[in-house]
Amino acid sequence: MRRAFSDSLLKLATADDSVIFLTGDLGFGVFDDFIAAFPKRYINVGVAEAHLVDCAAGLALEGWRPIVYSIASFMTGRAYEQIRVSVGYHKLPVMIVGAGGGYLYGDSGVTHHAKEDLGLMALVAGMTVVAPGDPNEVEHLLPQLSTLGGPSYIRIGRFGEPRFEAPAPINVGQARMLRDGKRIGIVTTGTVVIQALAAVDQLATEGIHPVLCHFHTVHPIQVDALDHLLSRVDSIVVVEEHGLQGGLGAAVAYRCVQSGRLPHIVRLGPGDDLVLGNPKQEELRQELGFDAHGIANTCRRLWDSRSA
Amino acid sequence: MAHQVELLRRNIPTGSIADLQRHARSIRATCVVMAYLGRQGHLTSALSCVDILVALYSGYLRVSPDRLRDPHRDRFLFSKGHAASAYYAVLAGAGFLPREELATYGKGGSRLPSHPCREMLPCLEISSGSLGHGLGMGTGMVYGMDQSGNRGRVVVLMSDGECNEGSVWESAAFAVAQKQDRLVAIVDNNNMQAVGRTDQLMGGASFEHKFNAFGWEARTIDGQDIGQILSALNDVPFKPGRPSAIIAKTTGGAGVSFMADNTVWHYRVPSKEDLTKALAELGEPPMTRVSL
Repeated sequence: MRRAFSDSLLKLATADDSVIFLTGDLGFGVFDDFIAAFPKRYINVGVAEAHLVDCAAGLALEGWRPIVYSIASFMTGRAYEQIRVSVGYHKLPVMIVGAGGGYLYGDSGVTHHAKEDLGLMALVAGMTVVAPGDPNEVEHLLPQLSTLGGPSYIRIGRFGEPRFEAPAPINVGQARMLRDGKRIGIVTTGTVVIQALAAVDQLATEGIHPVLCHFHTVHPIQVDALDHLLSRVDSIVVVEEHGLQGGLGAAVAYRCVQSGRLPHIVRLGPGDDLVLGNPKQEELRQELGFDAHGIANTCRRLWDSRSA
Repeated sequence: MAHQVELLRRNIPTGSIADLQRHARSIRATCVVMAYLGRQGHLTSALSCVDILVALYSGYLRVSPDRLRDPHRDRFLFSKGHAASAYYAVLAGAGFLPREELATYGKGGSRLPSHPCREMLPCLEISSGSLGHGLGMGTGMVYGMDQSGNRGRVVVLMSDGECNEGSVWESAAFAVAQKQDRLVAIVDNNNMQAVGRTDQLMGGASFEHKFNAFGWEARTIDGQDIGQILSALNDVPFKPGRPSAIIAKTTGGAGVSFMADNTVWHYRVPSKEDLTKALAELGEPPMTRVSL
């Protein structure tokens, strides 16, 4: 996904000479091709996230399309004020890139955990928030975000995540129906979609067929897609690598209440507690039950309880 | 007995320093009237930067109400947003705003809220009110203008209390690293902030020393002396390849004896008596009408 991002960035800058990239001293070796091609459109501001965003806002006011990059926890947390005021209040088309959202850097400790990035960004006026599920979605969403009239946030993962193929088009703001089924609707955002796909494929061999609907765009959520899903299933399983507030689970729950459709909702993902002990992302997903195994188990339980 | 204070009819003068000084007194009178009408405070902050603003808009800044988005214009970033009354009054004096509109300052629905909003007032380069953003945004503008071949200068007016913010110093370092010599930071050094004194809160090292230590070329001047302000501005860049900092030593509430250097006037809204007394002291008519 990291490579998909740097390749897409290079393409984007080649096609649009107003694209300018700013990093908070991160991405060693990742952007070498970009630097070679566009030395003046690559700015390393140093470990200075507040400045990173203010500077990008100044560039955007001059008609540039800045893309700012740091580790998700620092990008969204340390520069929140600058994102809110200089980007949000000024309605500027700055693309904010959070590398390693959720617990991708789980084993780096709490400082590097970003289970609040999506929620923080969703609270900023006019912000479009996406968490792609695979490199393919990064490649499709990045150019679309760069043409938005306002700010956007994109959470990107590591190098080497698997790709998945699905006929559903990849458009900002639109959910993707990845597997059709019945009774249970699994909704995902971010790279946990890979876990959900594995779970659904396993469940199919057992005669269990949940719907899988992937929301790479968490905010604004596609309400009609969500309503359509809610009208078709008895249970919703939300899988997200995010805290309880401000993420996909919160958006789904809010829509359920708002629409008056109240299916049984199970949310799989981290809670509010600090995660100590430096687990790797896979270990944490397993421990908290939002890996493929945990998702499948939850679906089996729901399927059995309702068929009884 | 009610009477009407006359409107000042002339625009910001481009002539002698004495004319500019007289205009600055009128701007101060206007600020006090605006605070009175709009039930707003922050007079100390507004009055301390009046002379700086008058100097900037007396012909130094290459800006025009007719060409708000001219790519080659100078960019002026009013980063100490809480002092908005002074900026609005100077903008009105320079033809960017109808001066009658100054009477709406701070009122609901006005284009002139207590902190400037670019969404409502397009002649502003930035919205402000939260401190520590202007310098960083200014550095981004300089970078972008360098790449685009735009010729303008970028002038950022900050308060000294604003320099408590760490983001100011992140941006200060960047400006040096990028050799941004078309960038000018003016620090309104009134040594007064919301609760404390700036020199006490920041440990007392001078702003000239701090900016020089970051690699800027800094110069300290009397920020109430329009001649000194203009002469410093005309010397920019002080050193080629370096951003310039003008440390303007000012007095909070300057021009009105009972407000001068008095922290209470960071908050207080003038009463009718305060207004009458201030206008008498200033001796120049304000630019906006007030019934007393």
